[in-house]
Amino acid sequence: MDEGGEDESIETTIGTSSYQHFRVNQWSTTIVEQCLSQLCKLGKPFKYIVTCVIMQNNGAGLQTASSCYWDNATDGNCAIKWENKSMCCIVSVFGLAV
Amino acid sequence: MSEVQKDKAARKDKKTSRVPSEGSHGVKHTAGKTKDSLSNVSCIEEHHDALVVTLENTYQMGPRKRFPTPAILAILKDVLPSYLEEEKYEVEWSRQMSKTLCEVIRARMKELMIRRYKIVVLVHIGQLAGQSMQISSRCLWDPATDTFASWSFKNTSLYCVASVYAVYFE
Repeated sequence: MDEGGEDESIETTIGTSSYQHFRVNQWSTTIVEQCLSQLCKLGKPFKYIVTCVIMQNNGAGLQTASSCYWDNATDGNCAIKWENKSMCCIVSVFGLAV
Repeated sequence: MSEVQKDKAARKDKKTSRVPSEGSHGVKHTAGKTKDSLSNVSCIEEHHDALVVTLENTYQMGPRKRFPTPAILAILKDVLPSYLEEEKYEVEWSRQMSKTLCEVIRARMKELMIRRYKIVVLVHIGQLAGQSMQISSRCLWDPATDTFASWSFKNTSLYCVASVYAVYFE
């Protein structure tokens, strides 16, 4: 459910576009806010952190890692990678139980 | 209740007849006189074999001490240059280094010993190749108790962005 929501936000925002530096700020804000509003609608007692990385595709490498100090039984995360010819987008969601 | 009634009955009997009667209300009376009216049921101790820890309610409404953002920045400013200065971007090495940095930063945050805070550390290491990128994040939390900090480092061949989120566990 979570991954579907993230994919949908990315597709609707940047699905058909190519990388434009002056628009990328607005795109990343839109993606993150859409994800967050959909998570809000789930109505669960969680605090959410949504991160979006949009990078121009020119062959450069990128490594991302995360480390969390939380309760494994109740908290979790999810990361989605989306790509087209000109850019790639990584959205990660962390959910922490209240 | 029945004991109170028995005691009342015993007192009445005492008033009416001074001799302890064993005939009419024998059973009840002797029970009231000879034995203590206090219950002799001892507390039953249950031996818990299972490792179940039940925590008592702390009635704590908020954090005693907020997570200090300058301390997070100081840790990031210290860790990133010390591990990445003079290093060159390589695929396998940077994969390992991003995990190592995450763990080091998390350990340093835990050393601060700020209670009831959950910590999320995010590290991105990328190659400098003239590309453009944007990293943004939004959080749904309580801004009075939760905080975050981020720091970036750059040298001739790579760049590194580290973000730390500290979330209060209610």
